[in-house]
Amino acid sequence: MCKQLLFIVALSGCFSAHSINIITNPSVKLYSLTTAQLRRIYSMRQTQWPDHQAIVVFVLPSKHPFHRDFSKKVLHMFPYQLDRIWNKLTYSGVGSAPIVVNSPEELIKAVSHTVGAIGYAENDIKNSQVHIVSIKG
Amino acid sequence: MNKKIVIIVLMVYLILAGEKYSWADNITLQNWQWHGFAAQGLIAVDGSDFVRDDKGVSTQLTELGLNASTQITSNLRFAAQVVYLDGGNRYFKGGRVDYLLLDWNFLNTQQWKGNLYLGRFKNIHWLYSSTRDVPFARPSIILPQSVYFDGFRDIAVGGDGGALKLTYSDDKLGDFDVNFSYGTSPLSKEQSQLILSDFAQGRIKQDLDAQASLYWSPALSQWRFGLSLLNSDFSYKGAQQDLFTSGKFSFQFYTLNALYEGEQWEFSSEIYQERFVTTGFYHPAFLKESIGQGMYVQTRYQLNKDLTFLVRYERFYSNKEDKKGEKLQQSSDGLIPSYFAFQNDLVIGASYDFDNTLKLRLEQHWMEGGARLTPIVLPNPQVNDQRYWQITALQLMYWF
Repeated sequence: MCKQLLFIVALSGCFSAHSINIITNPSVKLYSLTTAQLRRIYSMRQTQWPDHQAIVVFVLPSKHPFHRDFSKKVLHMFPYQLDRIWNKLTYSGVGSAPIVVNSPEELIKAVSHTVGAIGYAENDIKNSQVHIVSIKG
Repeated sequence: MNKKIVIIVLMVYLILAGEKYSWADNITLQNWQWHGFAAQGLIAVDGSDFVRDDKGVSTQLTELGLNASTQITSNLRFAAQVVYLDGGNRYFKGGRVDYLLLDWNFLNTQQWKGNLYLGRFKNIHWLYSSTRDVPFARPSIILPQSVYFDGFRDIAVGGDGGALKLTYSDDKLGDFDVNFSYGTSPLSKEQSQLILSDFAQGRIKQDLDAQASLYWSPALSQWRFGLSLLNSDFSYKGAQQDLFTSGKFSFQFYTLNALYEGEQWEFSSEIYQERFVTTGFYHPAFLKESIGQGMYVQTRYQLNKDLTFLVRYERFYSNKEDKKGEKLQQSSDGLIPSYFAFQNDLVIGASYDFDNTLKLRLEQHWMEGGARLTPIVLPNPQVNDQRYWQITALQLMYWF
């Protein structure tokens, strides 16, 4: 019984443990970002790259498991906090929210086709049209 | 809305958009973003005319909105939203231009961001002011009436003029937001009567509205703290056949707020003080100053990613020297009952997310007092003859 329980716990741990990569369009000439920078970008407080190119943010729907993981593990924010920031921008006219796509595949495709874009993908990404950015601090 | 401002904003937009289009840059008129919401509910009020003059379940809980925005140049954006609201007696029923503005992003670095908004802008100063009409983005169907008083909705929701927003992000100190706005709101005769009295035949005009706010969120913290200041002046021009004379109203409003956003628990609170000075109006020599105070504390508990519960308690009195309303009743020779001097509200509620864009919300309010029932300046005790009253509301909301 104990072995069965341990097996179930280990298995569920494997399924929930996504390894998350930050990806950008090759036009973005940055190879690392800090957690604080990522929070600024995803909360739309920073909307241009250092070379003044506009940042285009792509995300999955807020209840998507991978988005929830990204939000909590990378940004250290809860998905509902991001939703509130984005809703405030969208429905009060003071700014733009990220563009929502439906699947991880669409997200990679959108980032690869959009100048200045940033998004996230799982670790086994095989797409030479996006750059993987490391997270520091 | 001030027609001149609409025309100016639209003309500037069309000129700039046309120029940009002709430059055949990668940003074109195709880059429109469209969003909207639709919400319909049922609301029952027992003991007041908060929604309708008689008892029973009402469908007057309709909120529709559609907005569009486009990036004209790399630092210039156009955004507009129209809404249709039906809340019964809560506010004027009909369509409105909610905001229509040009957004100039004049400062943009990794840490600083500065935006100037010209045209009709939303109030961005209070905790929930910018999304008070967006059903799924506010915490409850009916917001705390002492701050988000529906009778003042068309004055408090925004203004025609300019607003400035400066944000600063520091890895150690946290995030700072500073906001300023200056602009007035046009008011119709119906809106004048909603605020003043059904017998007011003249028109009220907002002469000044200046607001400022500051928000701070410590680095990597779940807390956010804010304060806001408001100064507003109104004038009333009496009609030839009118019970009231011309007069002036001066209103100052100060708030402090705190918000904690945890994984499952959320706490928020706003405390505030208002100063209301009436000169004239009842008779030419009339002068009255009152200082009102209030606060609410609210908690939300997210049971799982779809189900959230809400509890809120709110207290408000319109004159801190007369919290129980005894002076109000005496000074009106008993015509205005004492409970019009205060309003308290206990709310419990729940909301369920069916998916990313569909939510159902249900709430129950136990109210005491009538200080936030319209008309505000000359209350109607014939209709609002109950000290204790209740609201039950259910609303289904969709957005895209």
